[in-house]
Amino acid sequence: MIYFSLIIEFFKIGLFSFGGGYATIPFLYHISNTYGWYTVNELRHMIAVASVTPGPVGINVATYAGLKSAGLLGAMCATIFEMLPSFILVIITSKILKKFNDNFYVKATLSTLRPISCALLASVAIGLFKPILGDIKAIILLAILLILSWKSKKDPLFYMLIGGVVGVIMRIFF
Amino acid sequence: MKQVSLFKLFFLFAKFGAIALGGGFVILPIIKRELVDKRNLISNNDLMDYFALSQSLPGIIAANISLFTGYKLRGILGALVAMFGVVFVPFWAIVIIATFLSSISGNSYVQGIFWGVGVAVIALIILTARDIWRNAKRNLFFYIIFLLALVSLLILNFSPIKTIITLVIVGVLYKRFEYVRREGK
Repeated sequence: MIYFSLIIEFFKIGLFSFGGGYATIPFLYHISNTYGWYTVNELRHMIAVASVTPGPVGINVATYAGLKSAGLLGAMCATIFEMLPSFILVIITSKILKKFNDNFYVKATLSTLRPISCALLASVAIGLFKPILGDIKAIILLAILLILSWKSKKDPLFYMLIGGVVGVIMRIFF
Repeated sequence: MKQVSLFKLFFLFAKFGAIALGGGFVILPIIKRELVDKRNLISNNDLMDYFALSQSLPGIIAANISLFTGYKLRGILGALVAMFGVVFVPFWAIVIIATFLSSISGNSYVQGIFWGVGVAVIALIILTARDIWRNAKRNLFFYIIFLLALVSLLILNFSPIKTIITLVIVGVLYKRFEYVRREGK
């Protein structure tokens, strides 16, 4: 039963991803490798669409991944169950509020999570990079995008726009 | 502080979700303008607390802020209404766009766009990782946990969750040990 696995996986994402929308991508990448509900290439497209659609990226990409995996009902399961841990945790922490962030264990956990998130994203970047390894044009485009924005990260729209325009130009001329 | 109806709450958050392109850092000023400045429903201090807490909790930051705010205004029902409100427009937007995209995905130019934005996504993720790296206080602890996480993910092929649980336990135990030793002196 795909809905059951979907609910469990997206609940886990909601419970274990720290640091915003892009922090959910390592989990979505892991799902693609474990269940094969969508391919790594499809995941790249889903992230692109989620980044330029209104709404929080993390929720958009969950909706899209759920939709790809199991249709409209899948999209609903993924979206709702990704937020369920937040719902429970917010109601619990609302009672203790400020004390929560001052707690020793909360602080220790958060300072450990920072290098872990960094490594998670790095490993996903490597995973997403593998399928384009033989595509020299893609590697050149990636290098140009990185050089253009190395000093400061720009709006996600900036990357999608350049990527999209270059993609169309490639189709016309090459 | 005024009382707000659940119906109104849903529409307010549906609006926030519809105009927030990005995530938590984008939705914060939108909520502030509407609920703090314009409607005086919550105080700025409360909202800032919610924002700080939302970043410490797991999950989507924008959803966390909405849940805190909804809970503050109307209790558990308010939290639920705010949560469903904030995802309402993005949910249907994704469903419609995805359906539309799959019907035109055979087109050569659309495939070109997909190719290009697929590459752009990799750049975006590398830069997100670099931002965390730059903004973090990088001491020996940071480097060791970072390396252990990479080994766990890339060499041992552990899942993200297994990696997180294992290393958080290691990290917290180490911090506790360090704290006890320092206090003991």
